Amino acid sequence: MAQLAPTTTATSSSGVVRRRRRVPAADELPLSMAPKPALRAVAIVVLVIACLYFLVPVYWLVVASTKSNADLSTTFGFWFSGKNSLIDNYNSLMSWTQGLFWRWVGNSLLYSTVAGVLGTLFSVMAGYAIAKFAFPGKKIAVGVIMGGLLLPVALLTVPLYLEFHTLGLVNTIWAIIIPSAVSPFGVFLGMVYAQSSVPTELIEAARIDGANEARIFFTIVLRLLAPAMVTIFLFIFVATWNNFLLPLLMVSSADLKPVTLGLYGMMSYFAPVKGAVMLGALLGVLPLVILFFALQRYWRAGMAAGAVKG
Amino acid sequence: MPSKKAAGRVIALVGVGTLAVGLSACAGGSNDAGDDAASSGPVTITYMHRLPDGEGMTPVDDIVAKWNKEHPDIQVKATKFDGAASEMILKLETDIKAGSGPCLAQIGYSEVPGMYVKGLLQDVTTEAGKYADNYSAGAFGMMKVGDKVVGLPQDTGPLVYFYNATAFKKLGLTVPTTMDELAADAATASKDGKYVAAFTPDEAQNWLSAQAAAAGDTWFGASDDKWQVNTQGTGSQQVSALWQGLIDDKQVFVGDRWGDAFTKALTDGSLIGHVGAAWEAGFLLDPLDGTESEGQWRVAQLPTFGTDAMTGPDGGSGVSVMKGCEYPEQAMEFNNWFNTQVDDLTSQGLVVAAKGTPTTPTKMKKQFGDQDVLSELATATQNLNPDFPYMPGFSALSTMNETAAKAGSGDVPVSDIFTTAQTTAVSTIKDLGLPVAGN
Amino acid sequence: MTTVATRPGTRRRGRGIRREGLHGWLFMAPFAVLFVVVFLIPIIVSVREAFYSQVPSGGGLFGGGELVDTFVGFDNLVTAATSGAFWLGMGRVLVYAAFQIPVMIIVALGLALLLDSLLVRRVAFFRMAFFLPYAIPGVIAAMMWLYLYTPEVSPFMQFLPAGTDFMAPGTILASMANMTTWTYTGYNMLIFLAALQAIPHDLYEAARLDGASGWRIATRIKVPLVRNAALLAVLLSIIGTVQLFNEPMIMESANSWMGKAYTPMMLTYNSLMGQVSPSGNGPASAFSLLMAVVAGAMAVIYALVQRRKA
Repeated sequence: MAQLAPTTTATSSSGVVRRRRRVPAADELPLSMAPKPALRAVAIVVLVIACLYFLVPVYWLVVASTKSNADLSTTFGFWFSGKNSLIDNYNSLMSWTQGLFWRWVGNSLLYSTVAGVLGTLFSVMAGYAIAKFAFPGKKIAVGVIMGGLLLPVALLTVPLYLEFHTLGLVNTIWAIIIPSAVSPFGVFLGMVYAQSSVPTELIEAARIDGANEARIFFTIVLRLLAPAMVTIFLFIFVATWNNFLLPLLMVSSADLKPVTLGLYGMMSYFAPVKGAVMLGALLGVLPLVILFFALQRYWRAGMAAGAVKG
Repeated sequence: MPSKKAAGRVIALVGVGTLAVGLSACAGGSNDAGDDAASSGPVTITYMHRLPDGEGMTPVDDIVAKWNKEHPDIQVKATKFDGAASEMILKLETDIKAGSGPCLAQIGYSEVPGMYVKGLLQDVTTEAGKYADNYSAGAFGMMKVGDKVVGLPQDTGPLVYFYNATAFKKLGLTVPTTMDELAADAATASKDGKYVAAFTPDEAQNWLSAQAAAAGDTWFGASDDKWQVNTQGTGSQQVSALWQGLIDDKQVFVGDRWGDAFTKALTDGSLIGHVGAAWEAGFLLDPLDGTESEGQWRVAQLPTFGTDAMTGPDGGSGVSVMKGCEYPEQAMEFNNWFNTQVDDLTSQGLVVAAKGTPTTPTKMKKQFGDQDVLSELATATQNLNPDFPYMPGFSALSTMNETAAKAGSGDVPVSDIFTTAQTTAVSTIKDLGLPVAGN
Repeated sequence: MTTVATRPGTRRRGRGIRREGLHGWLFMAPFAVLFVVVFLIPIIVSVREAFYSQVPSGGGLFGGGELVDTFVGFDNLVTAATSGAFWLGMGRVLVYAAFQIPVMIIVALGLALLLDSLLVRRVAFFRMAFFLPYAIPGVIAAMMWLYLYTPEVSPFMQFLPAGTDFMAPGTILASMANMTTWTYTGYNMLIFLAALQAIPHDLYEAARLDGASGWRIATRIKVPLVRNAALLAVLLSIIGTVQLFNEPMIMESANSWMGKAYTPMMLTYNSLMGQVSPSGNGPASAFSLLMAVVAGAMAVIYALVQRRKA
């Protein structure tokens, strides 16, 4: 009896009995198809090598943020110098930013999160529309959006500034959030994912059941597109966080600045305290790392939805 | 279900965002209008700068606060621009076009003519005349466009010579007073693997033009209401010959001024002398703090090119009154006051253009072995070649750096750098639509 | 909203089509509005700039201190099209693209397949690790790479033969390609991963029952189904490479021999900033229009080639 139950362990009258047969989780292969350990080992080796390639420079960054300028050019890059300048660098960072560093991090968080949320929502809505609806002027719209990608954004910054100035939006948080929330790339991603992840039959069925479009979108489509949305959100979040040309022109008040702009200002000096700047950057990357792990569940949501399709 | 949570979360975040917006919109940044509309209320002047405001410096906001306290009728708001000089020019251009430019802005001397041509600067000759006596003649001249004055000078960058006195003594070198002596010192020092100078291609544009000025040349003149460009005069040829010799004989450190290799050469003791701008004194020796080389360096006047004591301008900026400023008189009053706050400005690492010698800060004294550095630098400011105006569009001469890098590695002769300067200058002036004499 | 009752499988007619069109535009609307504000209007302004030039109004040395916006027709565009520096730079970035993009896309796809293959458990960690480089702000990455590439201070020099120069004229493109690959592989990998999540797992079950190995599943099922995402990734990479800016700017700051016009985007940006003559809005816009045309042409060519293959 207990043997047929789909649980990993079960207690019998004689104490805990470890089950041999367990149903694999949704993301695991069925036991009969479990890969050979050798293959798994190779995969892990490849991934670890890739990890080294991508993370070694980040490791350098961490080590460098504990060094003074002099140490940076004299000591071995991949290990710490005898002198730990981390506290000095932190104090330099606070001093050079007039004590506004954490405020700037907060600003960046606000801009990136709001732009990310709005941008993802709008991009996915537009992508969904292009993928699943026929509407007049669709081809032209797609062409125009594509065209928007072709012109380098840096050239558009000055006209954008003048436009926002006319609208009275310069030197406000919207000056950064609105442009950052517009992601033609996000629309195309949304379109590609909507095409592949959202079966038209499902939508049709829901329509027949009497659901209106908004309900279909928010309850069915968004769930299916969860991993896509997480991806688009991350892209917009990071792009907004690292963008400094736009805030450079749009924002002049010190307390509205995003953190990357502040760090850029520190770097524009002839003899920047490099360790302090790097420390600032690392502290800025932390929110992203936390965010990344917090969004893991939404990746799985899409997987589960995919598994029960069809 | 995750989807409902997702949707709910989206709406919540948007709600929070909107709330935050609502709150910050009340407190948020104001429009940067240069002036106050009320005629009876206090006048507000905006001042955009890119002073470092770094660790250990008196923040600009604090300096401005002093003024604001004593002048309730003229209130000043300072904003720091976080980018490079060229980006600030773009922002100024855009702001003034939009009608909300600052009243006062920090402009590099080499940019002043170009900004004037673009119609961004105001003619404040009469106002400036009141304060001219407070500043060194050479510096004041750099705020002139033709015979119009557009602001007041803030800091200067005359070339000086930094050297490690201890290392010099050890090698039996004399502190060079002429460039020939410098070349001789270079030959002696290189036998021991030491360099008494650095050839820095990434600074070629300002650094070599300054040396040409130090050698007595004038690159940009006018005749017949047309620009006359000559970057290959006798002075420039002297400069060219000097560095060619040093590079050929491998007696000079070749590398970017702002690269890590330069810092390394400094810290490992292979670089024991440097022809640099006066404002480098504020941080040049920072990497040596706490090492045994601390306190061994000194600063001296630039070795001459065979003329009397003269040096050339390598950087420095002034504060200009921008077009559209409604209160130029008050702006200039503040301008003069600010640029005569000699001690505070020195803490920002500036070599002030105003007359008088500020006391050398403790940090500098420590790094330069108790030398009265700032009086030496003040002498250099007085020795600036008074006749070295810049052309509009001088920043396009960055092509010099490109050629300099090739010259540094020996691919082309150093004189090519000056030829590049000539051709680029003439074509740039033409591109700007201004009259220039042929070649 | 009222719904239209249709029998499953029938095409909507009349009121249905209009409603579909309406719904399509409603979903597009938020993005469309913001796109017009943030992209379309600045693009139109920017394009207009290309046909104008700032000309001194007065005479004399300084042009009377006033510039006038003057219509110059195709002058700027002709100057741009005949600019040797522009085409030299364009040649460089196209060569760059030909090598760097395939390498990056293949590696990104490979890593995505590995992470999706269920061969390893700690997927989240690797995903974060590979994406992290993209999150490092450009100014910081600049400092980092310059340091790692400068022979006198780089910690890699210990392990490489003496005289290795990452920043010589013959090697600098490869060094920049490394920077781009390092930064964007994780980014592209995420695009592929999200697309892979969409594939229903019963396809795999069926294939396994037929005796297919993991490799065959990867190549015969997964890769073809992420084709659209791959197409998008490559198109975006092509456009991004034609607009290559960050990496060469970083390299130029330590290598003056490159000059301010090493890539077309550097030329455009420095023209806008006055560091390169001809300078100003007019010439800069002309250069960027030309860049957009080339990028568009490349994108179209690639898309056509892909379609023919399919």
